[in-house]
Amino acid sequence: MNFLDGLLILSLLSVIVTGFAQKLRSAGWLSSVLLGLQCLLLMGMAGLAYGSPAVSSSFSVSVLGQPLHWQFNALSWFFALITLASALASSVYAAGAWGEDYRLQGGNPGLLQFALNLNVFAMLLLLASGDLLSLFVGWELVSWASLLMMVLAGGAAGRFGLRYIVYATAGAMAVMTGLVMIFQLTGSFQFADFAAIAPSLSNAQVVTFTLLFVFGFGVKMGLLPFHLWQADAYAETPGPGAAFLGAISSRMGLFAMLILVIQLIGLGRLINIEVPYSFFSLRDVLMWVAAFTIIFPTFTAMRQNDARLLLAWHGIGQGGYMLMGLLMVNPLGSAGGLMHVFNYASYQAVLFLVVTAVIYRTRTADLNQLGGLVTRMPLSFLMMLICIIGLAGIPPMNGFVSKWLIYRSLIVEGMPLLFVASVVGTLGTILSVYKLIHNTFLGQLRLEHEQIREVPWSMMIPMLILSAVVFITGFLPGIVLDWVASAQAALGIPVLEHTLGGVESPSGNLDMIWICSVLFGGFAVGALVFYSGNKSRRVHQLDNYAGGHFLTADDRYHYSNNFYAGLMHHIGHWYRGTFQWLESSLGSAISLLSAATQMLFNSFHPALFLLLAATLSLLFFAG
Amino acid sequence: MTQNELEKIEISTQPKRTNPLANVFDDLVRFCRSRSMFMLHYCTGCGAIELPPAMTSRFDMERLGIQPMVTPRQADILLITGYVSIKTLKRVILTYEQMGSPKYVIGICSCTVNGGMYWQSYATAKKLDEYLPVDLYIAGCMPRPEAVMEGMQQLMQKIKTGEADSWKKYYSHYDYYLGNQQQLFGNNWQTPTDIIGEAESYQLMGPQTLGEHTKILQQVQKPLEPLEMKL
Repeated sequence: MNFLDGLLILSLLSVIVTGFAQKLRSAGWLSSVLLGLQCLLLMGMAGLAYGSPAVSSSFSVSVLGQPLHWQFNALSWFFALITLASALASSVYAAGAWGEDYRLQGGNPGLLQFALNLNVFAMLLLLASGDLLSLFVGWELVSWASLLMMVLAGGAAGRFGLRYIVYATAGAMAVMTGLVMIFQLTGSFQFADFAAIAPSLSNAQVVTFTLLFVFGFGVKMGLLPFHLWQADAYAETPGPGAAFLGAISSRMGLFAMLILVIQLIGLGRLINIEVPYSFFSLRDVLMWVAAFTIIFPTFTAMRQNDARLLLAWHGIGQGGYMLMGLLMVNPLGSAGGLMHVFNYASYQAVLFLVVTAVIYRTRTADLNQLGGLVTRMPLSFLMMLICIIGLAGIPPMNGFVSKWLIYRSLIVEGMPLLFVASVVGTLGTILSVYKLIHNTFLGQLRLEHEQIREVPWSMMIPMLILSAVVFITGFLPGIVLDWVASAQAALGIPVLEHTLGGVESPSGNLDMIWICSVLFGGFAVGALVFYSGNKSRRVHQLDNYAGGHFLTADDRYHYSNNFYAGLMHHIGHWYRGTFQWLESSLGSAISLLSAATQMLFNSFHPALFLLLAATLSLLFFAG
Repeated sequence: MTQNELEKIEISTQPKRTNPLANVFDDLVRFCRSRSMFMLHYCTGCGAIELPPAMTSRFDMERLGIQPMVTPRQADILLITGYVSIKTLKRVILTYEQMGSPKYVIGICSCTVNGGMYWQSYATAKKLDEYLPVDLYIAGCMPRPEAVMEGMQQLMQKIKTGEADSWKKYYSHYDYYLGNQQQLFGNNWQTPTDIIGEAESYQLMGPQTLGEHTKILQQVQKPLEPLEMKL
C-alpha cells in the first residue's frame, strides 16, 4: 500500500463519513480534518514534482476483460495539489461562522461538505486515471459530482445546473464516441497503445479525435461556444462551493484535454494539418478558439452587476489563457499555461471567498448596492486587492508571471495577432476587476452598512493563507515552476529552464525577485515622502466636495451604475448576445423536432411503432 | 471686534531660522509653492468670464504654473469672481474650509471688495473679507485678463516672500469670522470641517480662535466623525 492507495482510499472514506455525518454540527470541521489528511498524503508524494518516477496504485479493477488502473505522475500531482488546497480552504471557510449562518438561512452545510468531498474524490480519481477507461469513469464522476454541488442550494442554481448537465452529457457522448473509435483501432484502452498508433493515424482521424475531445472536454472548460452554462451555474452555488468550483473544477477539462490531445495525439500532428483554403493549421484554429474564449467572456464579465457573476465570467476567460499557453510548442508557453492553472486557482478562490464574506455581512453581491466597505472590512479589501492584481496579471503577484510566460512565448513564436488578442483580454480584465473593487470596497459607505464588522477568523484564515500564496509565488515563482517543469516532463513536452526568481532561457529572462525589489523600493520612497510630511487628518466621507453642495447620507455620490459608460458608448453595440441567440435557437430547433416526432408518434397507434422497432431489432440481430 | 481692530493684529510670522541650510530649504519650498498654484474650478458671479482667456492660449496662465484643479483638497487658490449671494457664500465657506493649507483667496471684481453694483441688495454679502481672509483683491468690473495675470503675479511674489499667510488668520481669528457668518446664516450655521480641531492640529490656536461665537457653534454642532478602520 503506497501513498496513492492511501490517498484514494482516504478520499473515498471521507465521502462516506461526510455523507453520514451531514447532520452533525461539527461535520464541517470533520470534513476539513479529512481533507487536511489527504493533503498530507499528497505531500508524501511530493517527490513526484521533483523528478521521482510515477506512482501506481497497488489495486486495479477489471471490467469486461479491460483493466482499469490508477497512477500518479507529476502532472496529476500538480492538479491534485490545487484541487486539495482549494477544497481545504473552502472547507475550513464553510466549517466555521459561514456554515452556521448558512444553516440559519435554511441551507445544509453538511451537504455542502459532502459535495465538496465527493468532488475531490471524483477529481482525484480522474487525475489518477491510468488508462482511457478509468479516465472516462473519472470524467463522468466529476461531471455528476459538480452537478450535485451546483444544485444543492436549489432555486436558480438548480436551473442552471440542469443547463450544465445538458452540455456535459453532450460532451460525454462525444468523449465516449472518441474512446469507442480508439478501442476499435487499438483493441485496448491503454494510453500506451493509443500513443503507439497515433503517428500512423490519418489526418482525417486526427481531426475527428481532436474535435471530439476538444468538444467533450471543452464543455467543462467553458470553451467558446460552449461557455454559456458556466457563469450562472458557478455564481449561484453557495459561496465556498463556488470558490472551489471556480478555482479548479473547470480545469479538469483542461487536464483531460492535455492527456488526450497534447500527450497522446501530440501537437506536432495538429500543426501539420492545414485547414483547407486557409493559412491556418488545426492548432491555429484551436488557439483562436482560446483567444476568443479569453476576449468574449472577459468583456461580458465587465458588464456584470453581480460580483459573483463577474468572477465566474472571468473563470471562463482565464481558461483561454491556459489553453493558449499549452497549445504552444515553446516551453515558455506551456509552462505559462500550466502555471496559470495554479495561479488562477489561488486568486480565484480568494476572490470568491471575499465576495462571499461581503455577502455574509451585507446580504448582497449587487455591485450597485455596495461601496465604501474598506473602512469596515479592511483585511478583506486587502486580500481582494492582492488577488485582483493577480487576476489582472500585474506584478508583483503570481498572475503576472504566468501571463508574462504566455505573452513572451507568443512573441517568440511570432504570433502578433494572438498576442494582441490576449492583451485585449487582459485590458478587459483590468477594467472589470477595478469595477469589482471600486463598487464593493471604495467610494461611499452606505448608511445601512455603517455598523458591519470584519468577518470572523474562521473565514479570514483560509483567505489570508491563499492570498499569501498569491504573493509568495509571485515573488518566488521558481517554487511553482519546479512543479510545472516536472509536469511538462511527465507530458513529454519541452521543459522550461527556470530559476527561483523566474526564467532564464535564451528566449527570455524574468527575475521576479529583482522586479519586486524595485517595486517595493519605489513604494518605500513614496512612504518616506508621505510619512515625513505633515501629519494627515482623516475626514468624514460626507465632508467631500460636490461643487459646494452640502452632502448628507441621502446623497449618492458613489458612481457605480453604468460603469465605463464612455467605453460602452464605443463598444456597447458589439454586445449582441449572439451566443445566447445561437443557444436558444438550437434549443427551439430541438424542441420543434421533438414536438414533430411526438405528433407523428401520437397520430398512429403507438403500439405499431413498438412492433416495428421490435421487428427491426430482431432482424438486425438475426441477420 | 471691528474690522479695523482686526487689521491691526499682526500674525506672528515664523522667525527666520538661524540655520542657513534651513533657510535655503524654506526658500526653495516657497519658490516651488509660488510656481505651482492650482486654482479651484469654482467661480461665482460674472468675473468668471475673464478666466477662460486667461487660462487658454492667448494669455496662457499655465506658463506661470497656474492650473485649474477639480477638487478643493488639492487646490491652492480659491477665486471669488464676482458678487457672492448669501446662499453662495455658504458654499464658498464650505469649499474654503475643505482646502488644504496653505491656501489663498483672491477676490476678483468690485463686488467682492464692497458689494459693487449690489450694494443695495439684501441677499448679497458686501465685503468678502468679513467672512474669509482674502489675500488679494483685483478690482474692476470686470478686470481684464491682463489685470488677473498681474494679480496672480503679485500673489506669487507674496508667496515667495512669505507674506501670503492669511490662511493662518482664519485659524487664529476664527471667532471673528464665525461671528460674521452666524450673523448672516443664523446660529445653526456649521460646516463639516472642524476648524478648531485643525487649528490645534496645525498649532495655530490664537487668543481669538475661541470666543462667544465658537461657544454657540459647539452647542449646535453635530460633528461628523471620520470613519475609522475597524477590524
